[in-house]
Amino acid sequence: MADAKEKTKKDEVKKLVIARLEVLSSDKKISIGSSGEFTKEELIEHVEKEDSIGEKITEIQMEFLQSLKEDVFYEQDTSNNETKA
Amino acid sequence: MNKILLTTRPKHDYTTHYLFYWASEIIKLARDKGVSVLDLKKKRANRKEFESMLSKKEPLLVFLNGHGNADCVAGHDDEILLEAGKNEELLEMKIIYALSCKSAKELGPKSVGSGALSYVGYDNDFVFLWEEGKISKPLEDKTAQLFLEPSNCVVGSLLKGHTVGEACRKSKQLFLKNIHELLTSENSSEIVPYLMWDMRHQVCLGDRSSSF
Repeated sequence: MADAKEKTKKDEVKKLVIARLEVLSSDKKISIGSSGEFTKEELIEHVEKEDSIGEKITEIQMEFLQSLKEDVFYEQDTSNNETKA
Repeated sequence: MNKILLTTRPKHDYTTHYLFYWASEIIKLARDKGVSVLDLKKKRANRKEFESMLSKKEPLLVFLNGHGNADCVAGHDDEILLEAGKNEELLEMKIIYALSCKSAKELGPKSVGSGALSYVGYDNDFVFLWEEGKISKPLEDKTAQLFLEPSNCVVGSLLKGHTVGEACRKSKQLFLKNIHELLTSENSSEIVPYLMWDMRHQVCLGDRSSSF
C-alpha cells in the first residue's frame, strides 16, 4: 500500500518535471558539469529513465518549487550558505 | 603573498569553452587594474604548471575554471589540478574562487583547514544554459550571461577591492536580479530554477573579511 502511494507520488513528480522541461526553448542547451550538455529532449529522456541526470534535473526543479515557499526571492535570504566552514 | 591573479582556463568541451571565454573578461579587468595575471589556458592548465605557479609566484587570488567533484578541481582534458588530501596545502594564504562543480563540499573546507584564507565555490553541480547558435560567440550569448556574469562578479568584486563576503553577496544579488527580471518577463522564466540552484549552492568558506 505504502509502496503504491510512493510510486504514484514519484510518477506525479516525474510528470511535473517533464511538463516544466517541455516549455524550455529548443535552441537552448543545459550544461551539467562533467555530465555534459543536454537538449530538452535529451533531458526529458533522462527524467523518464530515472537515471542520474534525470534525478539531478528533478532535484533542481523540486528545489525551485520548494524555494517558492521560502521567500528566497528577497535579498536578505541570498546569504544562505555564506558562512559555512 | 603577491598581488597576482592565477587563472586556470581549460578548453576541451562545450562547458569549458564557455568558461574559457567568460573568464577572459576577468583577465581583461585585472589587467586594466594593473594586476599581474598568470593565465594557465588550454594545455597549460595542467597539474605540473599549476603547482609550479602556486609555489613559485605565490598569487593571492586563484580563479579556477573547469570540471570538478566534491574533492577535486580539474584542468585541461580533466587532469586533476587540486585534490583534497593531496595538494590543497598549496592554497595556504590564498583566496580561491572555483567555478567548478561540487568542490566546496570537500576540497573547499579542507583547503581552508590547510590555511587558505577563503574558498568560494559550489557545493553541488554548477549548471548553466546556453544558446546553440552562439557557440562561436559565447560572450554574445545572453542566456549564458545570466549565469556567468553573476559568477564573474565574485572575482570582479575582489579585483575592485571588496571583501570575500561582499563579493559573494554581490554575486548572489546579481543572480537574484536576473531571477527577478526573468520572472517579470513574458518568456524565459523556465531558466529561473537553474539560476536559483546556482545561487543557493554558491558557498563562501573561511574568512569572509579577507580581500585582494
